[in-house]
Amino acid sequence: MKLGLVVDLDTCVGCHACATACKEWNGASAISGPLSDYDPYGSDPSGVWLNRVRHYEVGAYPDVKTVNFPMSCLHCEDAACVTVCPTGASYKRDDGIVLVDQDRCMGCNLCAWACPYGARELDTASGTMKKCTLCVDRVHDVALPEEERQPACVLACPTHARHFGDFDDPASKVSTLSAERGGFALLDELGYRPVNRYLPPRAPPTVVPDPPPAEERGALHRLIARAKAVLAG
Amino acid sequence: MHAAFSVLAFTVLSGAGLGALALIALADIVATVGGVELPAMPALWTRTAALALMLVVIGLCSSVLHLANPRNAWRSAARFRTSWLSREAVFSIAFLAVAAAYVAARHFAAAAPLLLALAAVTLVLAPVVIYCTAMIYASLKPIRAWHTARVPLAYLMLGFASGALLVVATLRAYGEPVTGLALIAAVLLAGAALVKLEYFHFLAGSEGSVTIGRAIGVPQGVGPPGATSVMAARLLDAGHSRGTFLTREFVNPRRHIRPMRWLFWVASIALPLLWLVAGLSEWRGAAAAFTACIAGLFAERWLFFVEARHTVRLYHGDQRT
Repeated sequence: MKLGLVVDLDTCVGCHACATACKEWNGASAISGPLSDYDPYGSDPSGVWLNRVRHYEVGAYPDVKTVNFPMSCLHCEDAACVTVCPTGASYKRDDGIVLVDQDRCMGCNLCAWACPYGARELDTASGTMKKCTLCVDRVHDVALPEEERQPACVLACPTHARHFGDFDDPASKVSTLSAERGGFALLDELGYRPVNRYLPPRAPPTVVPDPPPAEERGALHRLIARAKAVLAG
Repeated sequence: MHAAFSVLAFTVLSGAGLGALALIALADIVATVGGVELPAMPALWTRTAALALMLVVIGLCSSVLHLANPRNAWRSAARFRTSWLSREAVFSIAFLAVAAAYVAARHFAAAAPLLLALAAVTLVLAPVVIYCTAMIYASLKPIRAWHTARVPLAYLMLGFASGALLVVATLRAYGEPVTGLALIAAVLLAGAALVKLEYFHFLAGSEGSVTIGRAIGVPQGVGPPGATSVMAARLLDAGHSRGTFLTREFVNPRRHIRPMRWLFWVASIALPLLWLVAGLSEWRGAAAAFTACIAGLFAERWLFFVEARHTVRLYHGDQRT
């Protein structure tokens, strides 16, 4: 099993609903919650988020586009955060999910340094590392209706830009979507073999205006000529 | 990278202590095997070794301060097979035990074979601990400035050079000229300076090959049809109104680089070298030379962090790392 997400950069509108839903679910979750906030109502609010949405301008004028870019843990197959962890708190499950055992973490930060994607955040209130759990406490929960056994970010997305599934199953929605739309992994040249896939923005339709047919052009010219005549009185 | 004071104190102080203990152990072995007398009284060497051990202990205590959750520090031996931090923890605890026994054996004038055995293990373990510390950094692929063999080389050279300076400074503080040892310390310092010079040259020379366009990876479809190369990109908004863990830890401003480099060159290299060559054996000069060296090494270690740029900075708007 290789559970992961597909993020559609074409349909993402950058509303941050995924990030907020993530904060809501995981903040109350027993897996890595609470996700502490520091000075939440003060002048310098900050806190732990497991999913962040950034916004980029891609291309050069006039072929330029805003790309909204949600990022959470990519659940790498070759997860450096797991190999560098000295206490064994970071581990990769058989279903592919990378987790931090909050009871074993000593807060040394080394896993956050080893991750090129910035997927891990230290919670200074608990002193432990927090990261995306792929909502492990939702996706396997048989008490939930089957359509709700998905990560909170996927359920919250209003434009269906996020999809959850098993990349080991070639018939799964995530596998087929990724294959059809040219899903790509982030910085795969670094060799961590991230599981999550991003779907590139679709090419904008090329609009080439047709030249007007000759007779229409003639009619327009006649019209203008008549208008001029009328105006001249 | 954010430079945490506890990590600077740990690597600088324990590096000097480890280097000094390794050199004292080496001197003991050479003296015993070669049948020559050490310069200065044995008790003075023991005192120097105890001082070095104290520096290692202070350094290791400081490293625990870096942990956000030190209650779980005892678990850090768990991943010895894959984690350099785990290896460092195991070897530094082993080193502390052996080095403490070695200093005690010296103090109580233990039998030569025992002293020799403890000295040999101390001599082997000290560079192993320094190497493990350096490899914690050098093993991190997302940080180009660290992912190079220059890093363990620099840590070893600076540890041994500052350690040798500690030995010479302590012996000279008690009025022993130790000319031969001073020469060794001067050579080590000059060697360390060369290693750092080459490292700074390496930092300035290569720009980094990973671009922001590659990081967000939007391969095509934005430009006109046919344009399939990775597009240029720039950050519009990082998605949060104030600092985050990521910006605090990785997106530090690169300021004061030049004065800090000068501080390193003058305080860590030039002043101690001058003092060594001048051959002054008086405690004030000795204390000043060693203190200057350590202060300069703090600047060097600070630079080691501040000049290193993590790949995640691309997602925060850096064009290249």
